Amino acid sequence: MSCISPESKPDWKAYVLRELNPDASREAETHLAACSTCHEEVATLRLTLDTLSALREEEIPRRIAFVSDKVFEPHWWQRVFSPTFAAGALVAAAILIHGFVRPGQDQVDAAVTKAVSQVEARHTKEIQAMYELLDVRDKQVANMYRNAMLSQ
Amino acid sequence: MIFREVEDPDLIAKARRGDVEAYNLLVSRWEKRVFNYLLRLVSNREDALDVSQEVFLKAYQSLPKLDDPARFSGWLFRIAHNEAFSMLRRKRPETELAGEPRPADLNPRLLPMELSLAVETALGRLSPDQREAVLLKVYQGFKFEEMAEILECPVSTVKSRLYTALDLLKATLAPMQRHAVRGES
Repeated sequence: MSCISPESKPDWKAYVLRELNPDASREAETHLAACSTCHEEVATLRLTLDTLSALREEEIPRRIAFVSDKVFEPHWWQRVFSPTFAAGALVAAAILIHGFVRPGQDQVDAAVTKAVSQVEARHTKEIQAMYELLDVRDKQVANMYRNAMLSQ
Repeated sequence: MIFREVEDPDLIAKARRGDVEAYNLLVSRWEKRVFNYLLRLVSNREDALDVSQEVFLKAYQSLPKLDDPARFSGWLFRIAHNEAFSMLRRKRPETELAGEPRPADLNPRLLPMELSLAVETALGRLSPDQREAVLLKVYQGFKFEEMAEILECPVSTVKSRLYTALDLLKATLAPMQRHAVRGES
């Protein structure tokens, strides 16, 4: 088979340059398999591209590198939004907020006094209970002693 | 497949925040490609190196304007294209830049292989627009749409320049290559 008209030919340059979409590429391959004229054209294009790939890539004579300079210094807002600065600013803000919202010294003293008095009251009650218990036991011991004496 | 530890968009983000070392790493990844592209456009190593430095400096200064870091390569080559043609306009008369064929004036010592020299010569005979289209497509692998963005022209213009260039190169290089193949066999 050969091409009837130039319009019916696939875009062979786009084909060898891998610019056809998959459907168009499949159609082109079907045409290529049956058309000797197009087969020759594609072979010549591929040969040309292969030859072009022989061009040697040059090494750069001097590496390009930049040093930190006024030109490279970031704007103030770039510094503000940098992760390191932002993390530091966050910690500083947290400390500052804590300083503002924590209770005053008077409130702290009152809370401590209240807690101490509660503990003292609890201890007094426990000691009182202990004394009462001892008193009961003393009376029991005294009764036992009296009974023992009477039985003799 | 080899994965890079740090991708280009990460380096771009760091460079945007003023990290010069990140930008230097980015430059080291692209300088050879940009230099070779410019070398074929301006045909002079010193000019190509000077323009390469200008390109990377301008790119750094313009990084905040880069909308999509994933499209860095096309954006970078657009800067390279503009800088190269700006330099050529300064150094050469307008008539010569308009597309008069001219031989490659690279030092042959730098291209020892016969075939490489033949390709260099064939590319040198193309107009600057045609040559640039070949460089962007064949050597840098850009798609037609990306080339249109770099060159700031319609896709149809890109295809026209590239297809004409391929026809000219085909006429020059294919017979020579066939002859070489026959000679070997």
